[in-house]
Amino acid sequence: MNKKKQKLNLNRRNFLTGTASLAGIAATASVVPISIVNANHTEGSKGLPEFISWKDRDALIVHSDKGIETHRSAIGESLITPNRNVYIRNNMPTMTDYQIGNKNNWKVSIQGVKNPKTFTLGQLKKLGHTTMATILQCSGNGRGFFEHKVRGSQWKTGAAACVLWTGVPLMKVVEACGGINGDAVFMTSAGVDHEPTGLDPKKAMVERSVPKKVYQDAMLAWEMNGVPLPNAHGGPLRMVTPGYFGINNVKHLGKVAFTTEESSVKYMKTSYRISPIGKKGPQYPSCWEMPVKSWITRPTDETGTVKAGKVQIVGVAMGGTRKVRSVKVSVDGGKSWKRAKFVGPDLGKYAWRQFVLETTLASGTYNIASLASNGPDKQPELRMENRRGYAHNGWKDHSVNITVV
Amino acid sequence: MKIAKFLLILVYVYFLSPQSLIADDAKMIKGLEIFNETAGCAGCHVLKAAGSEGNVGPNLDTVDLTIESVVEMVTYGLGVMPAYGEEEILTKEEIEIVSYFVANTAGK
Repeated sequence: MNKKKQKLNLNRRNFLTGTASLAGIAATASVVPISIVNANHTEGSKGLPEFISWKDRDALIVHSDKGIETHRSAIGESLITPNRNVYIRNNMPTMTDYQIGNKNNWKVSIQGVKNPKTFTLGQLKKLGHTTMATILQCSGNGRGFFEHKVRGSQWKTGAAACVLWTGVPLMKVVEACGGINGDAVFMTSAGVDHEPTGLDPKKAMVERSVPKKVYQDAMLAWEMNGVPLPNAHGGPLRMVTPGYFGINNVKHLGKVAFTTEESSVKYMKTSYRISPIGKKGPQYPSCWEMPVKSWITRPTDETGTVKAGKVQIVGVAMGGTRKVRSVKVSVDGGKSWKRAKFVGPDLGKYAWRQFVLETTLASGTYNIASLASNGPDKQPELRMENRRGYAHNGWKDHSVNITVV
Repeated sequence: MKIAKFLLILVYVYFLSPQSLIADDAKMIKGLEIFNETAGCAGCHVLKAAGSEGNVGPNLDTVDLTIESVVEMVTYGLGVMPAYGEEEILTKEEIEIVSYFVANTAGK
């Protein structure tokens, strides 16, 4: 330690010259040997990390290089969120082309089936082919509205996207393996993006169990919105668990197992548990099914003042694991509601629907809210308070204030 | 008059200068040591001021942090990041020192 301090030669003058000096000093300092992958996280030319330098910086809110949110007004007015606007939330460093190698040779093992097998991506492409629209949404989307101090990215609405996935239905893969073992209760998917880090898999591996029934609609995807699945979104192969929070849509997929027990890794056992504030543990519900939710995308405070007269109030609504049935819009903070009209194509129950309410607004300030229903469930007014700020679908926090002139 | 001017400049420098100007040297040295060695934060985070290039957690040069938020994060962890306080990997004092170091260097 003494040697280190001598090397650093830190004194008041160093600190008075600011952090530029600190950086310079540290550059010559002996630091711990670092074997972690660091090939793709340097800052690119647009203020985005190099590994997503192809994204649209203007559409994104950068919380950190690992947490990047889509602006409320940039999720895509034509239903599907363009890849360049889709949020980023990665628990492990995005794998590089070098680490991935030949994408067609990427391997995924299928276990807990009658005849366990390992398939290459090339082989999977021969087993089946389909395209499906689903909503990708981080469990913590809306965390930024919670008032207690919640650790993690302070997402508002933009840790969500509606995406067209192309791949093979998992059912086809299971069929090719002779079917699921009879006693399985969970479908457990594991990524391999922790491997280059050398970290303990129990703590770093993203392995998520969901109820076995999910496999019926799940798919192994290699394309996202018509292009090969980008590494930043889990390429070359990703699990898609429709209606379930993003974390269950495991990136860089290396294994799918039908199991009798939930995975025991940290990301399953203790992380992503919806617990009361001040409490935690594996006894609380995991972030699985997404609840019904909607929000306005235009006009918002991001889009500036609105001209008085006819106004199109536009937004998106999702039903979670059920089809979204209706959306109501309020321009007076929830005192009164009018039914909005769904527009654009219906891409199935796992996609969101666009909605619009045409109305006339005079000069003044308005609080605009939307309230979706999937039949049995509708959005509550208030958030469900919880320790980590998960699964927020309360309509009040998601409302927007606009000024009409 | 000269004294008054000097005092004014002193007040100006004190209140308007970057936080690093009034950073405590000993805490910064110790904080760097904890960051790079005791806790091994360097293995997972980029932080120019520490010369670290880890790529598991957020690049700390890209975020603005308060001491309180770093203390919270280091104490309770997040995802793969250990709960250094809850798991008693670091003492409360060590957490405060490394948080002081990080808050004074991150996002700069």
